[in-house]
Amino acid sequence: MRSIQMLASTTAVLALLAATADLATAQQAAAPPARYEHIPAGGNPPPAGPLRNPHKGSAQAADEGGKLFGAFNCDGCHAGGAVGAVGPSLADGRWRYGGADGEIYQSVFYGGRGMPAFGGLLPAESIWRLVTYLQSLQPAKDTISTVTW
Amino acid sequence: MTQSRPLFRLVVPIILLVGCGPTASKPAAPGEDGQWTMPGKDFGATRFSGLTQITAANAGKLRAVWSFSTGVLGGHEGQPLVVNNTMYVVTPYPNVVYAFDLTQEGYPLKWKYRPNVNPAAIGIACCDVVNRGAFYADGKIVFNLLDGHTVALDAATGQEVWKTKVADVNKGETTPMAPLVAKDRVIVGTAGGEYGVRGWVKGLDLKTGEIVWTGYNIGSDEEVLAKPESFKPFYDQGTELALNSWPKDAWKNGGAPVWGWLSYDPELDLVYYGTGNPAPWNTEQRPGDNRWATSVMARNPGDGALRWAYQFTPADNWDFDSTQEMILTELTIQGQPRKVLVHFDKNGFMYTMDRATGEVLVAEAYVPVNWAKRVDLKTGRPEVDPAKLTGASRGNITDICPTLEGGKNQQPAAFSPRTRLFYVPTNNMCMDYAAANVSFVVGTPYIGATVPYKAGEGGNLGAFIAFDAAAGKRVWEVKEKYPVWGGALATEGGVVFYGTLDGWFKAADAGTGTVLWKFKVGSGVVGNPISFLGPDGKQYIAVYAGFGGDWFLLSGDVKSDDPADVRPAAGFMPDIARHTSQGGIVWIFGQ
Repeated sequence: MRSIQMLASTTAVLALLAATADLATAQQAAAPPARYEHIPAGGNPPPAGPLRNPHKGSAQAADEGGKLFGAFNCDGCHAGGAVGAVGPSLADGRWRYGGADGEIYQSVFYGGRGMPAFGGLLPAESIWRLVTYLQSLQPAKDTISTVTW
Repeated sequence: MTQSRPLFRLVVPIILLVGCGPTASKPAAPGEDGQWTMPGKDFGATRFSGLTQITAANAGKLRAVWSFSTGVLGGHEGQPLVVNNTMYVVTPYPNVVYAFDLTQEGYPLKWKYRPNVNPAAIGIACCDVVNRGAFYADGKIVFNLLDGHTVALDAATGQEVWKTKVADVNKGETTPMAPLVAKDRVIVGTAGGEYGVRGWVKGLDLKTGEIVWTGYNIGSDEEVLAKPESFKPFYDQGTELALNSWPKDAWKNGGAPVWGWLSYDPELDLVYYGTGNPAPWNTEQRPGDNRWATSVMARNPGDGALRWAYQFTPADNWDFDSTQEMILTELTIQGQPRKVLVHFDKNGFMYTMDRATGEVLVAEAYVPVNWAKRVDLKTGRPEVDPAKLTGASRGNITDICPTLEGGKNQQPAAFSPRTRLFYVPTNNMCMDYAAANVSFVVGTPYIGATVPYKAGEGGNLGAFIAFDAAAGKRVWEVKEKYPVWGGALATEGGVVFYGTLDGWFKAADAGTGTVLWKFKVGSGVVGNPISFLGPDGKQYIAVYAGFGGDWFLLSGDVKSDDPADVRPAAGFMPDIARHTSQGGIVWIFGQ
């Protein structure tokens, strides 16, 4: 019974988020531009597709994305703060499938190699809020790669 | 007569001297054939080898004889099998099966099996993509793929005899457990207590792989296979016990998975296994005792009929899975020999039970415990400390011992009929537990708690102990810096073996706990050692190295092979990465 109530309130959260889309550009996060992680055959990267994050840099969208991160059990695999557990860290400034807006979006939408596909459950607006949240977690500089003891 | 006696005394020592040599020591225990055909060595899961060549006197001279990299980086739980001079290894996902020819130098492969395993299962396996091993029966190697299939291969050729889909990853089900074959039934169960499954075991036909019966651990008597004419729990009365101990529909995603070890009594014809946690971890979403989660179940393998059940932790507040092994032996309790099962539960209590009836004979803590004061043997119920109850409305509850990793977890104990002691790899940690409401979304985790760990008293995170299950007392211990996550092996030669998370494989004196030998095996040990006779008649010890299991998730930056996955060090185990990274190696040691 409680889980059904929780699902109903989650649906309400989703409706609320859709109705109050915030397109205002807040202060830009001081994150480096996403490196292009793949080798372009022939030296030509594919042209940028239509997938751009409409909420890029929005603190409110990041906050809403953080709530979705918990509500949809993302933290169950990626841990609170997305530091990594069953699933990899999403807060380390590095991306297995690429860190461009559309690449993060696709990996949530389609899933792959353990990651479930959320495209049939979450509307685009919600996935973009999740992308904004994850992009807000990225460190200002590349994660230090030397550990000393 | 008086003249012949001194002669006799002279003659006997000479014969002994002539006969003495490394291979002419005490003969192996009767019935010991030098093979290892099932995960726990025998149906009672004692993990006791009757071999005697390796002793406390010569264990210091053990040396590495062979090693093989499995090609897989992941927690190498489980153990190899040795049958007909062939060693069989099942790797973690992607579950490659290797068959090594022990009669040839370098032990080259006879065959290698590379199944097509669904990678989606990786995201549904809560606790690393482990495999807990295969079972040899009727010329077949029987094991599970992570993605919910049970497979039987011809042991000689590696050809698939049958492959059966038993579980559905889309429902959060995976199959890391090692099957048990009792007569002509293959018994398997599903994991997924963190994914809101409804746990079950299934009985498959050994020859064809066909599913003959399904026994749920939660639900109606009909689905649980608790028939009025044959189900006789020792402490409970009434019908629909696995339904009326749940609120309305909560049982449908109630957990009670089966990811641990099975054992079997051929005389009683009972298969024993433990069930995992009720789902979700936030107990307030499922008021009631939640049967038969966190319980031991006894079923007939032929038709799955449930004969008795006992719940170790009613209304589990702490994720105290009970999937640890049920070791079958005979112990003297209060002057009487009893046929028992002995179970070291996550909840910190060791239970000695009559395995015919399910009566609890002894229940004593084997690690520090504070969530309960004791177990009442009349009612079978623990006396819970209300200050340690958890739930979303209670906020953060601090300093609960043991943690949800348990007094021990999947790492199996061993029993020696010589010393009458149990050799138990344990954890020494306590936890805070903050539950939260969680919604069930099929295919995603169904948990609802944040649970940081800290070291228990003494600061060491683990210990390898010898325990007297009749008296309920620890006899000796070897403190370890990290939780002891690999299993134990006991031998007739008087030496016990275990591995550590920081990559040591150790031999200890079974009577005193003195560490006799150790070797750094290249990666943390989360698997279980075995012993066998090689074709040359010599005794060998084999074990996997390959850090993982729960600690892969919780140990921070031990992973080195993925530049896109850089994690902060865990607060309670910040320096494990000084001692190990991931690995996958099969080792054989000998003299």
